[in-house]
Amino acid sequence: MDDRQKLLEQIMAYDFCLVDLGLFLDTHPSDANALKDYRMCFEESEKLRKEYEEKYGPLSLRHSPNPHCWQWIDSPWPWEKEV
Amino acid sequence: MWFYDKKLQYPVRIKRPNPKMAKFIISQYGGPDGELAASLRYLSQRFHMPTKETQAILNDIGTEELAHLEMVGTMVHQLTKGVPADVMEREGLGAYYTDHDNAVYPMSAAGTPFTAAYIQSKGDVIADLVEDMAAEQKARATYEHLIDLADDPDVKDPLRWLREREVVHFQRFGEALRMIQELKSSKKYY
Repeated sequence: MDDRQKLLEQIMAYDFCLVDLGLFLDTHPSDANALKDYRMCFEESEKLRKEYEEKYGPLSLRHSPNPHCWQWIDSPWPWEKEV
Repeated sequence: MWFYDKKLQYPVRIKRPNPKMAKFIISQYGGPDGELAASLRYLSQRFHMPTKETQAILNDIGTEELAHLEMVGTMVHQLTKGVPADVMEREGLGAYYTDHDNAVYPMSAAGTPFTAAYIQSKGDVIADLVEDMAAEQKARATYEHLIDLADDPDVKDPLRWLREREVVHFQRFGEALRMIQELKSSKKYY
């Protein structure tokens, strides 16, 4: 696994926690521990996402684009084996 | 609405093609208890949910199912990519190759194309949440059957992860159902 893949997998792990904690909070909306964990995962994910997008290009369609070139199509798609 | 993130929810990296396994796994793409049925079921039912918690849980689990659909489609793609026609035929995918080449098409393991008849959206919150709980158990059982049929750790690992998610979703739907039952039993009628 190269550096890009390692960083991507860290983001995937934090974003998975956001999904799972989000479901838990849907049925336990005032659980203080889950809210604290959600906040921590969100901050970590945002930090790593920023680092990833600066180094390797956009991760989400909702990104600040390079003014000269539409980079969205350049990085590999997640279903490709090499990703 | 949704914005696409250029990543899977959980990694799928299958090194060895295996068309025979792809033919089984495709059932979780477009089969009776698959991820397409799951996402359409929850995303359709969410419109008539009566409380903010049940609206949220159906919206958010329905969204997660779309990410699972993508993972299962990725597994089928990686298991069949570059496999020549004669190998597809030998491994039981001759009929599939005839209609779909090495493409990913939503159907069951037995070849039935996806149909919305797999799902219900009844407009009755108890009926719908109970269906959703059963759907999660059926999907869990299907993933267990697929794990029994698989021998490659690259295939078993994402299947095990997807199985776990069915267990979590069942738990969340159960909590949503209990909240609705408590709400209904606390209502006063005069």
